[in-house]
Amino acid sequence: MERAGEHGIPWRRVVACIAGLCCLLVSACAPAATDGEDHAVSAAPAFLADRAAGRAPDEPLIVAFGDSLTAGLGLLSDEAYPARLQEHLDRAGYRLRVVNAGVSGETTAGGLRRLEWALEGDVRILILALGGNDGLRGLPIDQMRENLAQMIAVARARAIRVLLAGMESPPNFGTAYTDAFRRVFERLAAEHDVDFLPFLLEGVAGVPALNQEDGIHPNARGAARVAAHVWLALEPMLGETGAAR
Amino acid sequence: MAAMRFIIRMAYRELRSSWRRVAFFFVCVAVGVAAIVALRSLIQNVRVALAAEARTLLAGDVSIRTDRPWSDEARRIIDGRLAGVDPLRRTEIVDTTTMVRVADPASVRTKVVELRGVRAAFPFYGRFRLAGDEAYSFDLLRGRGALVAPELLAQLGLEVGDEILIGDVTFTIRDVIFTEPGRRLGAFSFGPRVLVDRAALDETGVLGFASRATRQILLQVEAPIIDPLVAVLREDLQEEMVRVRSYRGHESRIERNLGRTENYLSLIGFVIVILGGIGVWSVTRVFVQQHLRNVAILKCLGATGGRVLAIYVTQIALLGLSGSLLGIGIARAALAAVPESLAAQAATAAGLTTVSTELTGSAMVQGVAVGLLVSVLFALVPLLEVRHAKPLLLLRRDAVRPPAGIDWARAASIGLVGAGLVAVAVWQAASVEVGLYVSAGFAGVAAALHLIGRGLVRAVAPLERAPWFALRHAALSLSRPGNQTRVILLAVGLGSFFIIGVRAMQTNLLGNFDRELRDDAPDMFLIDIQQDQADGVSAILEAGLGEAPPLIPVLRARVTAVDGRRLSFDSPRGARRAGLGREYTVTYRASLAENERVIAGRFWDDVPAVEPEISIEEDLRDERGLELGDTVRFDVLGREIAARVTSVREVQWDDTRSGGFMFLFRPGSFGAAPHTYIAFMQGPADGDARARLQRDLVARYPNVSVIDGLTVLQTVRRLLDYVTLAISVVGGIALLSGGLILVGAVAMTKFQRIHEAAVFKTLGANARMLTLMLVLEYGVLGILAGSVGSIGALILTWALARQVFEIAWFPSVFTNAGGVLVTALVVGSVGVASSLDVLRRRPLATLRAE
Repeated sequence: MERAGEHGIPWRRVVACIAGLCCLLVSACAPAATDGEDHAVSAAPAFLADRAAGRAPDEPLIVAFGDSLTAGLGLLSDEAYPARLQEHLDRAGYRLRVVNAGVSGETTAGGLRRLEWALEGDVRILILALGGNDGLRGLPIDQMRENLAQMIAVARARAIRVLLAGMESPPNFGTAYTDAFRRVFERLAAEHDVDFLPFLLEGVAGVPALNQEDGIHPNARGAARVAAHVWLALEPMLGETGAAR
Repeated sequence: MAAMRFIIRMAYRELRSSWRRVAFFFVCVAVGVAAIVALRSLIQNVRVALAAEARTLLAGDVSIRTDRPWSDEARRIIDGRLAGVDPLRRTEIVDTTTMVRVADPASVRTKVVELRGVRAAFPFYGRFRLAGDEAYSFDLLRGRGALVAPELLAQLGLEVGDEILIGDVTFTIRDVIFTEPGRRLGAFSFGPRVLVDRAALDETGVLGFASRATRQILLQVEAPIIDPLVAVLREDLQEEMVRVRSYRGHESRIERNLGRTENYLSLIGFVIVILGGIGVWSVTRVFVQQHLRNVAILKCLGATGGRVLAIYVTQIALLGLSGSLLGIGIARAALAAVPESLAAQAATAAGLTTVSTELTGSAMVQGVAVGLLVSVLFALVPLLEVRHAKPLLLLRRDAVRPPAGIDWARAASIGLVGAGLVAVAVWQAASVEVGLYVSAGFAGVAAALHLIGRGLVRAVAPLERAPWFALRHAALSLSRPGNQTRVILLAVGLGSFFIIGVRAMQTNLLGNFDRELRDDAPDMFLIDIQQDQADGVSAILEAGLGEAPPLIPVLRARVTAVDGRRLSFDSPRGARRAGLGREYTVTYRASLAENERVIAGRFWDDVPAVEPEISIEEDLRDERGLELGDTVRFDVLGREIAARVTSVREVQWDDTRSGGFMFLFRPGSFGAAPHTYIAFMQGPADGDARARLQRDLVARYPNVSVIDGLTVLQTVRRLLDYVTLAISVVGGIALLSGGLILVGAVAMTKFQRIHEAAVFKTLGANARMLTLMLVLEYGVLGILAGSVGSIGALILTWALARQVFEIAWFPSVFTNAGGVLVTALVVGSVGVASSLDVLRRRPLATLRAE
């Protein structure tokens, strides 16, 4: 029997949403449609003994830092774009591991405070893809620019190369806001001379076949398209990272 | 023809001769039917009002909604399906989040708002309540007018008549909205409401490519086609990411509560029929017994068994019918008097559609039909004894002996009565499921009562040799032939079963509402508070609220692997198959929240964890297969944490004070992982103070978002208050009339005492002795009937709560224990009180009359 708590003013979902700072659309926070499927019982993996928690200190890393678009909201973790990017790297023969450091609902303010922690280890490249939630919530543009600039500075101080991925804000807040929002990324890339991907969701945003029902988050196909798009910008940067091919 | 005339004439003569006894029967039927008609009318009227509320929540009958621009295909499908629908009204609305700026260039203030664009036909149901004197009309929006929520004025420092900018277009604030129809209750507001003309919305540019907007088509159609229309549209629009629902769809909790209330009310309508039926049955039984001598005389004079049966069935039918008609009169009087307060209170509390206090036609028809049906059905079984009444009865009192072997006619009529009752149950409950549940409960309790009646007679057998005379005779009279033991056990046991059941169900329903209606339920939420902002936010909240609410740390986590007893996987596919594939919001704390209870394992103490530990919500165990002792591996912010399940929690999700978390971590599990905070609180009740607090917070910490749930909470409160009132009043009336009916049933048994009391008196018993005997006898019966009814009610409410109403079940000790006590008291005092005139009567008068 369904629990009453699952319905209705969906407190559980609302709480999950609010708590998760995820996005403006309540519907997007619905648990994945897979809930309720049969339990899988396979042979017990001995993973707990085999695999050490945390990161190997000498492993070169690419940190995909971002919000739900990076975390892969509504997707399996191996469908999110960082996992797909890993496949590109593996195929091309690079020995770099991509870490998915996306947190759904995160704004640039949250990202700035989390960055140090995410950059632990031998991080060679930071893919900085934040700002979407600032745009969805209509947060002040100056603050977003300041946060992003500081994050670039933190990475630079550690000699980590930065790939800045631009975002667009929806037209809800008027053209003045939308234009200013877009210019933030262009200017930051120019001023700080970092590698730049003008729009993370290029060719994916607004295409129903590549997005989930909420119209914001890419589906598995969309995420693969994002990864391919990021790969084009990332590959030229790899020669200088020192990672063996 | 002549036979028919004879039957009617005889029936009439008999009624005339035993007028006083008949009058009692008559009143019993009337009270039963009055209860049915009054309650059903009231219930139907309340349901009409509830439906009106549900319609107001949607502002239409059917809503077709999408978060994307309408595709041509979706439009084509919708237009195609609606082409044949007549009458049809249709309008479109668009909801979007946007930013409002003060038009005055000197000001830089902005505010994120919830913008809605409507057309002239909106709303189909419900009314706007505005601050100004003028009632809402679409003219207010024409020519770039806007209606705004009061918070917007407070936060931007504006007044009615000022101008605001949406996109690049200037709007004039024409009035302030207090309440509006068509506000989805599931949606929390991310800003104050702004209402504009849908056509003007296009000019603002906020609906451009990739805009976040919800588009809705509202329909008003005739009631019978709503459900089929929703069904075909859902089917056709599956591929279009479009949601279709009617106002009856129970998608939000409040709508489900409305639905539950409807079910509860119809259940009471049904219970009252059964109670009325019980009253009629026990009265009929005595009535028939008293007429057996007349039957014998008729048989001496040559009447056949069939003809005698016809005479009495006609009598009962006539009495049932006229009793029912009187019942309608009583119902009209009662309804005109009693629920005036309900209608008035509900209306003032809610600005609601007033609840009508008219009798509804269908309730009257049902009442009369049920009165007639039940009295004839219940009368049939005892009347069949008439067939065995021999002329010999005139000479020997105990000559009514059913012939040996199975009496097929009797068995068939019992079967008929049973089937008839189930049919009535299903009809009255308007649900096969509920009807069957209650019928099964009814049958179970009846069987239990029958067994207990037998057991009791056996159990008290030793008392028949008790040295105390009163006790000895009280015990003896329980097992005497023609005694009332079984009748009272059955009537009162069943009666208390239903009354206690109704009462307990009411307690359960209202208890569920109460948790949602808590006075301290939070109505303001803060999200995205950063660690270095926590102190500053707390300070602002303390200044604004007097006391800062706790900030709850939250992190996002995904389950990547489980090594457990029932569940084991190590891949994202495995997680999805196990239903654990989504991102979870997790927290850590050292103690349980108010709405939590550990149901398995042991919750950690204050000492930080040596190794990571988690407490899981019970659904993760019951539905997903996690167990105590399992190890769950999480991906938190790109790092892995393996934690052991050390306890299972039950979370009251209705209680929103501290939220709820599926996974709760022991402090120390995350090390130095960065996280953000959220906070739940009750904002200031005063609108200005509230707006000021929100403005201060956002001005200082722009990344912190304030979500205001006050409007939603107020709507929910208003509706639940109203529903609570309806349930209490209807439940109270049911209790009262049920009690009256049972009093009648018990009082009827006095007719059997008249002769007995006369004999005892002749033999020297005084009135005190007789009273004591009666108190003991009825008291024991009352306790027994109450206990069995109470146990039955526990089972009934459990089944109804879990299976039908889908709410949490709490055994209400007070209601049940009180029920037993009250039943015993009522049976004892009514039994004695109704026999008082028997005690006073001179024995000789009775003996001569007999």
